[in-house]
Amino acid sequence: MAEAVAPQVFTRRASGLVRVMSPYSAFVYNILTMGIIFPWVFMQAPTAFQGSNLVLAIAFAFLFELPIAMAYVWLATALPRSGGDYVFQSRVFGGGFGFTVVFGFFVVWILQWVALSGWLLATVGIAPTFIGLGVTTGIGTFTDIGTWAAGANGIIVISILNAIVALVLLVSGFRNYVRFQYLMWYAILLSFGIVILLFLFTNPTSAAAHLDTFAANVDGTSNFFSTASSAAASAGVDFHPPFWLIGSLLAAPIAWTSLQWATYSSEQGGEIKNAHVFRSQVFIMVGSLAATAGLLILLALAMEKGLGSDGILVASSGYWYGVSEATIGGNIMFPSFMAMGLTGSWIIVALIGLGFILNSFQIVCNCYIGTTRIMVAQGLDGLLPDWFARVSPRWKTPVNAHLAYFLAALPVIWAFNKVGDWSTKWALGVTFANGAVMVLSALAAALLPYRAKKVYEASPGAVYTVGNVPTVTIVGVLGFLLGGFMVACFLFVKDLGLAFTNSAFPYMIVVGTAVFALIIYFVMRSVRSSKGIKVEYAFAEIPPE
Amino acid sequence: MAFWRKGKSGAEPTRIFYACDIHGSEPTYRKFLNAAKFYEVDALVFGGDLMGKLLIPIVRDAGGTWRARLQSQDHHITSAEEMTQFKRTLQTLGFYWQEMDPEEYGEYVGQQDRIDALFDVLAKDRLAEWVALAEERLAGSHVRVFLCGGNDDTDEVLSALDEVAQDRVVNAENRSVPVDDEHVVVTVGYSTPTPWETPRERSDPEIAEVIEKVMAGVADPSRAVFNFHCPPLDSTLDTCLKLDASVWPPAPLMENGQPVHYGAGSQAVADALSGYQPTVGLHGHIHESRGMIDYGRTPAYNPGSEYGEGVLRGLIVNIRAGEVIGHQFTSG
Repeated sequence: MAEAVAPQVFTRRASGLVRVMSPYSAFVYNILTMGIIFPWVFMQAPTAFQGSNLVLAIAFAFLFELPIAMAYVWLATALPRSGGDYVFQSRVFGGGFGFTVVFGFFVVWILQWVALSGWLLATVGIAPTFIGLGVTTGIGTFTDIGTWAAGANGIIVISILNAIVALVLLVSGFRNYVRFQYLMWYAILLSFGIVILLFLFTNPTSAAAHLDTFAANVDGTSNFFSTASSAAASAGVDFHPPFWLIGSLLAAPIAWTSLQWATYSSEQGGEIKNAHVFRSQVFIMVGSLAATAGLLILLALAMEKGLGSDGILVASSGYWYGVSEATIGGNIMFPSFMAMGLTGSWIIVALIGLGFILNSFQIVCNCYIGTTRIMVAQGLDGLLPDWFARVSPRWKTPVNAHLAYFLAALPVIWAFNKVGDWSTKWALGVTFANGAVMVLSALAAALLPYRAKKVYEASPGAVYTVGNVPTVTIVGVLGFLLGGFMVACFLFVKDLGLAFTNSAFPYMIVVGTAVFALIIYFVMRSVRSSKGIKVEYAFAEIPPE
Repeated sequence: MAFWRKGKSGAEPTRIFYACDIHGSEPTYRKFLNAAKFYEVDALVFGGDLMGKLLIPIVRDAGGTWRARLQSQDHHITSAEEMTQFKRTLQTLGFYWQEMDPEEYGEYVGQQDRIDALFDVLAKDRLAEWVALAEERLAGSHVRVFLCGGNDDTDEVLSALDEVAQDRVVNAENRSVPVDDEHVVVTVGYSTPTPWETPRERSDPEIAEVIEKVMAGVADPSRAVFNFHCPPLDSTLDTCLKLDASVWPPAPLMENGQPVHYGAGSQAVADALSGYQPTVGLHGHIHESRGMIDYGRTPAYNPGSEYGEGVLRGLIVNIRAGEVIGHQFTSG
């Protein structure tokens, strides 16, 4: 017998499919979506769960998200097409379920993120940057602009402009966004790096003195840090809490609100090069998850070094307890805002601010990119009117879906900033709803080998088994359980989500969105049926035998 | 037969299932045939590109085992069971395979003419099996299958259509064939030139000439179902990356660090849709450009293709009296 050879594949002249977004771009996209420079866990966890450890909370969230991200790797390689969660869940659970969950809990609820990204742009990006520039340059106009940006009208105007600019950028072509993403990526990395260095090269005593000076220049107050500390203590902050392991565990869902977006690139799987290659998706999803978790842990360690636990608690009290003395210029002390207070250089302030502004802008782009692709997929499947699925011949983008989402966002932007109890009653469900979609997709991954056998068998992940059990089933179940724990926390833990107001109203809103989606599903099914079409055909797998 | 009363004004609409670009995928083709019963349609229309693109040599190794390479991974096949599973995966992916000794394998390496000839033999065999399967599965039903080639299929392989087709299978290539007593399916399988230099490419004027020739026999263009493999130019049904044909395989052209998209369709097809205003335009060719667009009163569709995952992308259209009554993209 001749010696062993490693045979190559024979090819012929035949056309091939090429995609636009590189795995690296998708990796970057996911990191930017996770919003490394405004992680809520730093603002909420220290006071909401006093005694919790930020590093541990982020590590828990990473470990809980890991099997979910792995489950998405299997799904994204088996079904590498745009529409992500909608496609996965429709294929495994059926169209009615997939549409209801993803339209109700993603498309509708992500409208909150459009409003939130505008709020972030105004209050965490533009306002602090201009206030910081006002302080460092002594130009009062900058401070006035910053103060206006932090007010309700300023936020609404900025939010709408934010949405319009994103709309124009994305409608003009996805390649323009991908190009701009590189600018955002490097600006954000630079901003983040500067923040880390500023924290690492200071100490709590020096930081408190710098913040005192910064606050004095902005608000004219004196002894800012000690005043804020006293007010925080009066509000219930214990500056020397014992370590609380369970508290760290309960803080994990907050960190998860950032890390859960490690899989968001799956919404445009049809545009990612080598989307069907297992290691590409591992890099894109698990890689971005690990990188972001690492960066957040690095930030936590740097803040501990530069601000001390007292500084972190004071900043958190301004957000979670609403301690006005712990804000500067009416602004919550996000990590980067505090970093601005540590420098006297307007250039450093501008660089930090630019990162924040671009990351806020990137969030609204993400909202559009993900949801419009879902809407196009749903339009093509006949579950939304055809109008949503039309792609402009001129721009080659789904202009109608973009326009519809922009218009739908306008009242939400207004309500987010004008309706007094919006964030505690109407918008709370976003944590549960978005998380629920991802947890259900993990379950879809677990069931993929049984509910979509052919799709699974043809996928590269099918070679991985533990005994006779597909590995995807194991990671999917694990992701469902661990993610389910965090989603349950959003439902039942008072300091985490829907239980916050002790009212049934937030729960009714969540149920209402699902019912709204269900009504659309049945209406569209009825409309299609009148034309002799069954929408179920969009998802039903034909038996090959 | 009830079928022949369909499609007229006031009558039941004729239901057509359209799919394309399955590129040799066995389960996808079987699904295509089963779509007749599953979707309760009157006709199956295929839009071209039947042939697979890759041939996997399965080379005999020492000790009765086998080696092969698939999806950038080396496979060492050590049992009959593993071989069956491996071949099943190749069938799903639309690839051909040939078991061979290392010496035989060595004779093929670098010999593209020999490889192309082997492709033709294996692809023709598979197509002949497919046609026979269609005849068997649809025997006794009123459903007919309209088959044709696309730009990726060779004429040698497509000759199997005429050689094996009997009753239920229609070789629709460059013909107009009645689909009910009111509508005809008009089929043209060519595409405009591609960077891949595939077997059946034609210039736009040549495609226009073929369309004119076939349409000359159509009494009422408004009752025609256009089954043109190539989508209309710049229609959103034809958007793909622009490729550099000076390298092999063609690589994406970059501008300012970004790949360039363009419309790879046919102006002749766009002109035919605008000019003839047929009942509907059914197109494929560009797998990633699933969508729909209107040309005046005529809707045109491209259902896309995901044959490699064993998924049959398709489209159901209900037509009556020269109009589309309803449509549904499918993912079966």
